[in-house]
Amino acid sequence: MPVLLVTSDNEQFRVEKVVAQRSVLIKNMLEDVGESDQPIPLPNVTAPVLKKVLEYCDHHQTDPLPTGDEPSADESRKRTTDISEWDQKFITVDQEMLFEIILAANYLDIKPLLDVGCKTVANMIKGKSPEEIRKLFNIVNDFTPEEEAQIKKENEWAEDR
Amino acid sequence: MATKAETPMPPANADLQTTWAYLEEGVDHIMTRLRDGISYSKYMNLYTVAYNYCVSSRMHGNLDSSVGLGGRTGANLMGSDLYNNLIRYFVGHLTELRNTSESLVDEALLRYYAREWDRYTTGANYVNRLFTYLNRHWVKREKDEGRKNVYQVYTLALVQWKINFFIHVQNKHTKLASAILKLIESQRNGETIDQGLVKKVIDSFVSLGLDESDTNKASLEVYKEHFEAPFIAATEKYYKTESDTFLAENTVSDYLKRAEERLREEEDRIERYLNANTRKILIQKCEHVLIREHSEKMWDDFQQLLDYDKDEDLQRMYALLARIPEGLEPLRKKFEEHVKRAGQQAISKLVGEGGANIDNLEPKVYVDALLEVYRKNQHTVQRSFKSEMGFVAALDKACRDFVNRNSATGTSTTKSPELLAKHADALLRKNNKLAEEGDLEDALNQVMVLFKYIDDKDVFQTFYTTKLSKRLIHGVSASDEAEASMISKLKDACGFEYTNKLQRMFTDMSLSKDLTDQFKERIEQSGDATGGDINFSIMVLGTNFWPLNAPPHEFVIPREILPTYERFTRYYQNKHSGRKLTWLWNYSKNELRTNYLNQKYILMTSSHQMAVLIQYNTNDTLSLDELITATGITKDLLVQMLNVLVKAKILINEETDQYDLNPNFKSKKIRVNLNLPIKAEVKAEAADVLKAVDEDRKYVIQATIVRIMKARKTLKNQALIAEVVSQISQRFTPKIGDIKKAIETLLEKEYIERAEGQRDTYNYLA
Repeated sequence: MPVLLVTSDNEQFRVEKVVAQRSVLIKNMLEDVGESDQPIPLPNVTAPVLKKVLEYCDHHQTDPLPTGDEPSADESRKRTTDISEWDQKFITVDQEMLFEIILAANYLDIKPLLDVGCKTVANMIKGKSPEEIRKLFNIVNDFTPEEEAQIKKENEWAEDR
Repeated sequence: MATKAETPMPPANADLQTTWAYLEEGVDHIMTRLRDGISYSKYMNLYTVAYNYCVSSRMHGNLDSSVGLGGRTGANLMGSDLYNNLIRYFVGHLTELRNTSESLVDEALLRYYAREWDRYTTGANYVNRLFTYLNRHWVKREKDEGRKNVYQVYTLALVQWKINFFIHVQNKHTKLASAILKLIESQRNGETIDQGLVKKVIDSFVSLGLDESDTNKASLEVYKEHFEAPFIAATEKYYKTESDTFLAENTVSDYLKRAEERLREEEDRIERYLNANTRKILIQKCEHVLIREHSEKMWDDFQQLLDYDKDEDLQRMYALLARIPEGLEPLRKKFEEHVKRAGQQAISKLVGEGGANIDNLEPKVYVDALLEVYRKNQHTVQRSFKSEMGFVAALDKACRDFVNRNSATGTSTTKSPELLAKHADALLRKNNKLAEEGDLEDALNQVMVLFKYIDDKDVFQTFYTTKLSKRLIHGVSASDEAEASMISKLKDACGFEYTNKLQRMFTDMSLSKDLTDQFKERIEQSGDATGGDINFSIMVLGTNFWPLNAPPHEFVIPREILPTYERFTRYYQNKHSGRKLTWLWNYSKNELRTNYLNQKYILMTSSHQMAVLIQYNTNDTLSLDELITATGITKDLLVQMLNVLVKAKILINEETDQYDLNPNFKSKKIRVNLNLPIKAEVKAEAADVLKAVDEDRKYVIQATIVRIMKARKTLKNQALIAEVVSQISQRFTPKIGDIKKAIETLLEKEYIERAEGQRDTYNYLA
């Protein structure tokens, strides 16, 4: 049975329940409230982002759902920055869209998608100097030189020399 | 479906006040009016508002951020405001519930409590999910940093229930627990109660037990303190009163039934509505109150149940007392005494007043009486005591006692093995009444049952060997299979050595048969007819294996058989030079055809009788002296033998010491058996056997001592005696005096010596 999702910009998406339930939020709500033909509003997601997210959910609809109480599996998933080929291709989007996807995954509670997003950001940062990173993400350096020296000293251990 | 217009959702950057106002209305709806339903949009809006507040990173003018940043290394997380507001909400909600419950007691209170519990926990589950984001981030962070008393929202709800509702109600004279206990008591009194209600309330006690260190783990602390402890105390009190009253008015048999029923009911109770953890303590308590406290009374009644064969009651008493430690020991002791007594009484009855029948006690009757006592009590052990090891041991001990020592045996330890061996002999003879093969096998198995209990197995062995030799020599064994079966049973029980001789006897028998055939063949081939018209067969039996005695007197071999005797002797010496043949005339037998009478008879005789009768081939009248000279038999024995012949009317004895052939002998049967045992011989036999046993024992003891000393080289007197007793007691119970004598003998023969300077230590001399 399909469900009707409504974005903040009032666009409607009719998707199969099994696809929508990749979002633990939607899954929990359907369980709690019971099924009906009411539309499901998603006030924090816009149509272009939801479209992208649903593409991911559709592709992964048969994956086992993360249960949350398997810390070992969780750990190993977090440790690696490897991303599968399909996901890699999927997440190759402009920076703005990348951050929108991360926010949506966080909001909708889709852990694997959140991981893919965060790993992508991590890979972007890897091997770059603070200055390069600031440039990449358009961050203004608001540290005083003293502060910066202090932080550098504190994080010396992490420097890859 | 929500019907009334929904409050519009606050914007993403709304402040705490606006946010909480919106959330509180939703939470209250879920906690109190969930029956009215909730729409997808309401649900999503509530989630979104809580989410937005948690992800907002604004400073809002409150102090939260500065406090947070000071101690934390990561980004500040919003959430404590929502968390605290939730607590405030729960407290308010529960205070209302508490106030409503004030006026309620007993079942009404339980119903209210259960209904509210259902509603509260269902609602709390929803709220928990709406605040997933709070749980996942703020709560998790707090806990990771080691803060106690911060819980996932659902757990928080339970904690609040416990503090603000449960404890308050319980504090008023344990209102909740008392209400449950009242229901349980009325159920014990036979009334029907709402078990589902009881279960629901008790389950809530379990849910309220929260393990502080790991909230995923349930702890039974609340359940144990608030329910289990008072429940166990009430149970003890209830059953103490009930069992005392019941026993005052009813028999122990009835009580056994009641106790059994009560224990089953309590087991059921655990299944139906208690926590499985309570099983051990509840059942232990019930066992203590229902069984242990009344065990003396049960023990006292046990004898009566045995006396009247109350199988079911015995079974019940066994099952109950088996549940408590040491409960069965007194029963085992009493049972052992009971069986001993039954055995003694059965034999006393046989023996009669003052031992009237002691001398002509039939082996079969004696054995049957022993078996009957064994069988009856063995059934009791099997049926009522589930063949429990302790009772089996008690039965064995009692049987060993009365089988070896009873009013028929007196102080003699050899009487029982003797009678048992004689009974076995009767079974294995031709013409016994057990025609069916299966019956015989069964009867032999029964012999083995008693054999197991016999102390002096060597006495049985000696009697059995003697009896077997008779059966074989006289050809009266019922069947080779039955004989072999019995020997294999004895072998299983006592080992190869015990039956070695018996098996050798069978070997001798079959070798003898071959030997007879070969000898006959040889004679036919040689065409030598000096033996005359004689049909001859021989048994050559090893001296060491057969309990046979050489004739005690001279014997003149009649000339009629002398050629055969000489020819066989030659033949045998030729075949096995160096072997010594001793002719046991006293065990031989003959068949004589009569030619002097109108009717032809066949006289079956012993060789001695044959020697006498054959004299009448040439004489019609002979004096006693003439017969003594002709046969070489001693006077005493000859007179007895002649009496048998006179009694059979073969000979006539009209004048003193003169014996005439009776020319008018008549008999209804063609085959006349004259070979009857002579009384003096029968009595001598039993005495001989016992003498042989004593002789054997001396050697067994000596051999055992030597074997032990050879292994140990040096041993103290006491240790040596103990070791000998333990090694020999399988075959018989050695007397200490005999062991000491054997030691003396071995000292004299210098197999062992006294250790220098130590009077009580021996050394082995190689």
